[in-house]
Amino acid sequence: MTGSVGTSPARVGGIGRVTGQQAYVADLDLEDVLHVKLVTVDAARGRIGEIDARAALDVPGVRLVMTAADLPHPIPRFGPQRRDRPVLAVGETKYHGEPVAAVAAETSDAAEEAARLVRVACEELPALHTLAASLADRAPLVQDPSLRPDDPHAGTNVLSEHRYGWGDLDGAMREADVVIDGTYTFPMVTQFAIEPHAFMAAPDGDGIAIWSAIQHPYWLQRVIADLVGLPLAKVRVIAPDPGGAFGGKQHAKYEPLLAFMALKMGRPVRLVLTLEETFQAVRRGAAQVRVRSGFRSDGTLVFREIDADYLIGAYADIADRTVAKGSYTSGGPYRCPATRIVARSVLSHTVPSTAFRGFGNPQQIWAVESSMDEAALQLGIDPLALRLKNLAGPGEVFLPDDRPADGDWAQTVNRAAELIGWGTPVPPGRGRGLAVGLKSGPTTGLSYSTVRLLADGSVVVNAGTSDMGQGARTIFAQIAAQELGAPVEWVRVVMGDTAVVPYDQQTSASRSSVLMGNSVLLACQDIQAKIRAMAARLESVEEGDIEVSRGEVRIGDRVLPIRDILVRGLGRLGGEVIGIGEARKEAEPGHPLGGTAAFYEFNCTAVEVEVDRDTGDIVVARYVTVSDVGKALNPTQVRGQDEGAAIMGLGHTLMEQYIYDVTGRLRNLGAIDYRIPTSMDLPLQMESDIVENDDGPGPYGAKGMSEGALLPVAPAVAAAVRDAVGVVIRDLPLTPERVWRALQEAQVDAP
Amino acid sequence: MRAFAYERPTRLDDAIALLASGEAEARPLAGGTDLIIRLRDGTIRPQTVVDIKGLAELDGDIRDDGEYLRIGARTVMTDIMGDERIWHDYQALAEGAAVVGSAQIRNRATLAGNICNASPAADTAPALLVYGAVVAVAGPAGTRRIPIDDFFVSSGVTTLAAGELVTSIELPRSPIRPGAVHVRRTRRRGHDLASVTLACAVLADGTTRLSYGSLGPRPVLVVDETGVLADPAAPDGAKMRRFEELFVGASPSARSMRASPEYRLAMLQVLGIRAVSTAIARLADGKGRA
Repeated sequence: MTGSVGTSPARVGGIGRVTGQQAYVADLDLEDVLHVKLVTVDAARGRIGEIDARAALDVPGVRLVMTAADLPHPIPRFGPQRRDRPVLAVGETKYHGEPVAAVAAETSDAAEEAARLVRVACEELPALHTLAASLADRAPLVQDPSLRPDDPHAGTNVLSEHRYGWGDLDGAMREADVVIDGTYTFPMVTQFAIEPHAFMAAPDGDGIAIWSAIQHPYWLQRVIADLVGLPLAKVRVIAPDPGGAFGGKQHAKYEPLLAFMALKMGRPVRLVLTLEETFQAVRRGAAQVRVRSGFRSDGTLVFREIDADYLIGAYADIADRTVAKGSYTSGGPYRCPATRIVARSVLSHTVPSTAFRGFGNPQQIWAVESSMDEAALQLGIDPLALRLKNLAGPGEVFLPDDRPADGDWAQTVNRAAELIGWGTPVPPGRGRGLAVGLKSGPTTGLSYSTVRLLADGSVVVNAGTSDMGQGARTIFAQIAAQELGAPVEWVRVVMGDTAVVPYDQQTSASRSSVLMGNSVLLACQDIQAKIRAMAARLESVEEGDIEVSRGEVRIGDRVLPIRDILVRGLGRLGGEVIGIGEARKEAEPGHPLGGTAAFYEFNCTAVEVEVDRDTGDIVVARYVTVSDVGKALNPTQVRGQDEGAAIMGLGHTLMEQYIYDVTGRLRNLGAIDYRIPTSMDLPLQMESDIVENDDGPGPYGAKGMSEGALLPVAPAVAAAVRDAVGVVIRDLPLTPERVWRALQEAQVDAP
Repeated sequence: MRAFAYERPTRLDDAIALLASGEAEARPLAGGTDLIIRLRDGTIRPQTVVDIKGLAELDGDIRDDGEYLRIGARTVMTDIMGDERIWHDYQALAEGAAVVGSAQIRNRATLAGNICNASPAADTAPALLVYGAVVAVAGPAGTRRIPIDDFFVSSGVTTLAAGELVTSIELPRSPIRPGAVHVRRTRRRGHDLASVTLACAVLADGTTRLSYGSLGPRPVLVVDETGVLADPAAPDGAKMRRFEELFVGASPSARSMRASPEYRLAMLQVLGIRAVSTAIARLADGKGRA
């Protein structure tokens, strides 16, 4: 059957996506809609005084200037972890770009013009935008302590502290022959989805409808229902496929504001963020990570001690969860008898950081894998051999009380080493490096789906996953096609509307192929059971003598397509057969993360670079990325995700970073001075490969994937730079100037 | 974007009158690759935009009259990159035009617009300085010809008076082609703004003309008549010392996010060595393209 699992049929919706036919939120037109523009102040942290909207209201077409005074009191707050973010800034702004008001007008030009004319009395206050400033004695508090009563950290800018560990650290320290101690930094970077973040809200009968390019439509439904006091059934979230999300579109941002504006005006409202506004809406947490690693002289890892401070923004969003999850596994995929990890989420007057591909892990993997490279150098052991020596074997428990190693990880590492030619002579002027990345998948999950087998054998899959470009539609279509015997072109996958598709917890943590994939598979099996009952009735045989699988009905020696039984079984009236699927991963309350890993993502990246000693330019000459995905349901999509993740990782490795000025204003707002890799910045050669042992918890042995290949990019490249020119760099990004400075310093230091 | 009046005159005099009367409130539109961005972000808010693409007197042609190669004011970067005469005789200009923005930008952006925008980092400015281009201008007081070195004042500022429009940019025809090259530093290999931009022409008589941009308020021309830079046998150390003298006026801004002053100055030297070496090779080669 075309498009069956393990083959690579064309991306469902792919042609529309690349030809401009796909309708994103910003492409949707609502009758009678008002255009919204946010009003901000020219300060990071400013005490807000009187807001004078008279001039703005005089602009023709302006219908509303919404301020905090127009919202319920106390001001409604929301957030996935803590309800700390106000719908509009109240009292003071907490970061550069936080809206204090919003204009609604008949045209976007009028809204924009009026937004400039809203006069906000604002007294600028000192703002914190570095870890040192936020952690200093007597630093101003970013968050009002009354928002977190009974929290021992409430009098500081530490939002929370996470401690993990096992073994006898003090004893292990005495056993170490070599201790590597280094502090590494990771910059603030932004997701940079190509689709602008866009939101609409409209009164919908006695309820409300929200349009948002959101990864978790059902989570948003709950947030809006809570804020405006409606039952879930009266909040309809329509989530057209996002044009890239990368974690930045997981949680509510301006949907609550738009909901209140739509209800106040009784009219639809829409807000499409500019790229500059998006920079001020989503980013990844910066981090400073100190790693101490102890080894015996033969390379055996004996202890690891990690202190990680993440600079999160002014509101928690999901940032503290990224810190927790990024820390819990940050010792890496190694057996280590004694480990201590302390990680803190530190508030600041900066853009609230949120989920971003890798979810808190790339920051510490950068540090720990760099530490492994430095250890190899100091121990005189090959970096590949050092990793293989300490890597957890298949089934080995490497994190107490969590999922054991769920893959043959050495196979992945060896494959990457083979592809880069590890151990063969390095061409002159070049250097090689490699690194591994491990990430815990979802710790809980709940995905429902319904699958409808229609009278002609075609199929409708209803799934609440958001296809933001990762290809979920294609995967679900492939599963349904394979199980129900339809060509993949005969499958329609419906997503993104809470009035239509059943509940899905979220599209995150690379879960959808596993959790929703299992759910769709179960729904198909539900249909197969009904087909079996039909066949038993039609053929007058016992159900136990009938087997239905992979699109076929087997009765003794006879093999019939499902469609034959379906058409006869439905009879003259036609109709359909409906299957229901439910995949859940329950919480485990005793677990530090609330649940064990559903699976691990594991990747090994190996690179060969050329470094220009005069300018500091790095050219990635060869790039290899290998992931253990259990089973590649669609190999082309697996490679696309891995290669895309690698290129995205090259952004924070080589060039991306937010630059704040001393007042806390974001200076490089927008694409001109925040550079991401273009096609011309790609490695000169790139190769990806897949390890498949059918050992994952998803359909047909699949594991989740699509973040793994981003995790080890930076340490692999930095190791290659070190190999090429002998300088160790512990700060990202590895800009030409930074590499040049390191080379200059090395020259000065040389005897 | 704030609403503005849009005028599309067909006669040069009408355009000049529109631009001269409105003072700062009227802006000319050619390719629009700088203008539209600023209209959208609100950094300029003109009352009138005067589209000069319909003017009969302005063209997008590149014509050789024996004395000058005249590049019409509407000539876009793509046409400059695609012109065999420019590649052959003014290779540094072709190379500079080829790295302006992206292909889509180069299909719209004009050479005249690039110099009128007067960015210190303009990619075509160093080459025009090295080749001694002349800017032909028409305005309320008639026409005049401005040597390119007298055209740039500071970032965003030229010696054009209110209502004056560039009608063409003219490159002197020289009997002997120099060996020339344009090089620059950017933060990535994909399209980007230059943090150092440098054009270099080595002449057969031993003179070396160098022009650098992005290291101060305007692009700067310097000339080496000692012959050291043009000498293939001169050691790099000697050339570096000469650069230190020639580049003494470089004053990169400490406020820029793109690179520190220290790095820019160091890279100017690195680019200088590399550019001189390429230019010498091209001169010896006698071919336009290396």
